[in-house]
Amino acid sequence: MSHDQVYDAAPWSAHYAEAHREPEARLVNAASLPELLSQAGEQWADKVAFTTCMPNGMAGRLTYRQVEDKSDAFAVWLRAGLKLEPGTRVAVQMPNCLTLPVVAFGVLKAGCVLVNVNPLYTRREMEHQFNDSGAEVLIIANLFADKAQDVVPNTPVRTVVLTHMAQWFPPVVKSVLHLVMKYWNRVLPKHSMDALDIESVINEGRKLRDSQNIKVEDYWQSLKRDDMAVLQYTGGTTGVSKGAVLTHGNLLSNLEQVDTLTGRHIASGEECILTALPMYHIFAFTVNLLAFYYSGAHNVLVPSPRPIKNCQRAFDNYPISWISGVNTLYNALLNEEWFTVYPPPNMKVALAGGTALHKAVAERWMSVVGKPISEGYGLTETSPVVCFNLIGTERPDSIGVPAPNTQVRLVDDEGQTVPLGEPGELVVKGPQVMTGYWNRPEETDKSIKDGWFYTGDVAVMEADGHFRIVDRKKDMVLVSGFNVYPNEVEDCIARLPQVQESAVIGIPDEQTGEAVKAFVVLREEGLSAQDVIAHCRKELAAYKVPKKVEFRDDLPKTPVGKVLRKELRDPSQTKA
Amino acid sequence: MLSPLEETLLAVMMIVIMLGMGSSLTFKDFRLSLRSPQAVAVGFASQYLLMPLIAFLLARLLGLTGPQTVGLVLIGCMPGGTTSNIFAYFSKSLLSLSIIMTVCSTLAAIIMVPLLMEFYTSGVDDSLRIPPGEVIALLFVLLIPTLLGMWLRRKNANIGAVIELIGSLIGVFVIVFLVVTWAPRNWQLLLDTPWQVFFAVILVGLIGFAFGYVFARVLRLAPQKARTVSLETGIQNGPLAALIVTIAFSGELQQLVLLMPVLYSLFIVLNSTVVTLFYRRLTRREETARDQAKIEPN
Repeated sequence: MSHDQVYDAAPWSAHYAEAHREPEARLVNAASLPELLSQAGEQWADKVAFTTCMPNGMAGRLTYRQVEDKSDAFAVWLRAGLKLEPGTRVAVQMPNCLTLPVVAFGVLKAGCVLVNVNPLYTRREMEHQFNDSGAEVLIIANLFADKAQDVVPNTPVRTVVLTHMAQWFPPVVKSVLHLVMKYWNRVLPKHSMDALDIESVINEGRKLRDSQNIKVEDYWQSLKRDDMAVLQYTGGTTGVSKGAVLTHGNLLSNLEQVDTLTGRHIASGEECILTALPMYHIFAFTVNLLAFYYSGAHNVLVPSPRPIKNCQRAFDNYPISWISGVNTLYNALLNEEWFTVYPPPNMKVALAGGTALHKAVAERWMSVVGKPISEGYGLTETSPVVCFNLIGTERPDSIGVPAPNTQVRLVDDEGQTVPLGEPGELVVKGPQVMTGYWNRPEETDKSIKDGWFYTGDVAVMEADGHFRIVDRKKDMVLVSGFNVYPNEVEDCIARLPQVQESAVIGIPDEQTGEAVKAFVVLREEGLSAQDVIAHCRKELAAYKVPKKVEFRDDLPKTPVGKVLRKELRDPSQTKA
Repeated sequence: MLSPLEETLLAVMMIVIMLGMGSSLTFKDFRLSLRSPQAVAVGFASQYLLMPLIAFLLARLLGLTGPQTVGLVLIGCMPGGTTSNIFAYFSKSLLSLSIIMTVCSTLAAIIMVPLLMEFYTSGVDDSLRIPPGEVIALLFVLLIPTLLGMWLRRKNANIGAVIELIGSLIGVFVIVFLVVTWAPRNWQLLLDTPWQVFFAVILVGLIGFAFGYVFARVLRLAPQKARTVSLETGIQNGPLAALIVTIAFSGELQQLVLLMPVLYSLFIVLNSTVVTLFYRRLTRREETARDQAKIEPN
């Protein structure tokens, strides 16, 4: 029997009514991202758009007018200076800093394709991504110039532009920061690369614009929603990194979807959002960079939120009203006295995503800050938002309801929908779903079937349309034919007060096919493997109980704080 | 010792350093420190109960002469020096707490120093009093630039942060300058000094650090606060002790007593530098660990 109707009736849409924007409210009205950006730039011209706040409080900022002017000039340089064709891939690799929005917007305005690159990538990963995307231009923070120098000759990249973390800070402050980074922190590597400087290329762009009377709109006015905007790489936690092709329409649709249901909580032109998550990541890219730029917010960028004390001066100096983060970030903030004693007084909503938000963290946040954390769910391939908790009615342990105009189903291994309340793989259909993986038709066919994108996440739906993620499908452990969801076992282990965190994987087992193995990080001494196993025996069905427990000093994590179970599975690592 | 010009220069530099230290602080930092007034109390107790006793016992144990004993106990009775703030800053301890403790102990010194000196070295000399003018001057040098720095930071975070950097650079410079220039110029003095005196001036600081830390930890202060108390306890206002000696004594006796604060001031800079580097690493490690830890159960 098909259960399609359970999902296709969209029981969640009943919740929209109360959350919907007032009819007169402005919804996203643009055919392309540059149009949206230009609208915002015009409307909020004199407001501060971005501030980069360093750990010691030093700061540099750009107004909307400056961002528009600089990104326009950068677009002109790409098209008239470098003579790039529309659709050329341009890679941007830097932590959060003022240059990132300027060049990202510039690339989009030039009708080129933005390739966001993780600055923490190794040389091998960079080389793969530049070759795979076919990027011809690279804008990179000078912190990584040595890596770029080694990698670029083996790739299609023909022009490299360097920028500084303190770019567009007041000159004295920039020089001081430069000296500190160079001689005290020693993070500026030597290089002999033939690279251009961001300031000079923007000046050149301005000159070209004036001398040739170029109108930047001409570059983007013909862009359609179906045109490719961003190549967003993913798969770092699961396998070979591949580029999700996100169109202008994908990203605009996602902005519209979020705006429809959360927009009324955003006071246009008045918000101040803390961006501690990296903007090369799809979550902060769409939500912090695009959605809040469009809303006229002041975006406070923190280049590196680790240790979390690096965010203290940002909270001290700016009236932060929104923040986006992952579980680990909120967890870390709640461990700081300066945060818990003086929680940000203007805070409205905290947005969580990327990885499951722990109930304990959500509750503590509520009691400390007095405002909720609203958890959402999304993937790189879906620009990213698929589901989120409607603000004001957040549910613990829930990813909320699907975004408007989004179809969601839960299916079994055969692709058949599962009955209500049973776990199944979450599949999505909607305007925010990517068109496919760049140059990988096979991978695309594997993940998009009949228009449904297979997320690889296992979820459960409640009768009223709220969803709960059970686990990653590929992380599931199969013990004698029974499914074990690592999250459940980890949650159980986390209840031991001595445990800081844990990760559960499957290991080959002669009798049961696979067996459960737990990696445990302790916060204090005095817990043995037997204690952990005995505790799990009390709380879990026998087949879910770890057969092996290994204690570790820490767990491998992605830059945004997701535990890399894959690395734990790698035998070369587990033996150690 | 130092020429008048150098002393003036040093005083000016101290003001710039404190301006820089102040620029690293916000009023919130002070409010946070005052949230745990027991830390101030613990610091106060370790400063005025532990240190004089440590100094006194050390003097007895090492069999120091009368003038040397007076000198050492005087150091033990001194309030925390501004140097303790600089080292608190560099060790990533709680600078705001350190400053509060320095201010409290300096104010209390007017009463505490004569009282303690009377107790430990009864009848040695009546004139071992703190000149109130000196205390006021000290507080001025400490507080005015700090408040000015804080105000600047509030007005403009960039100016504040630049001044902080300049202040801390000068701080390093002064410390290095003192260490490098002092020894060669006082070579003869160092050669003539018996080993017991070296032991005494070095140990009084080190034991102060250790006891201050343990005392604070026993009284359940968090590690970072305990490290702040530790630095505050071990680092005494050496120059103030030297000043008192020059006022209270004269002639050859003055020179004999003065030896102690002078040597103490030299070695405390060396001791503190080592301890600071160690504490700094601990703070960093704690920050990273806290960053990754799960939240405390409610």
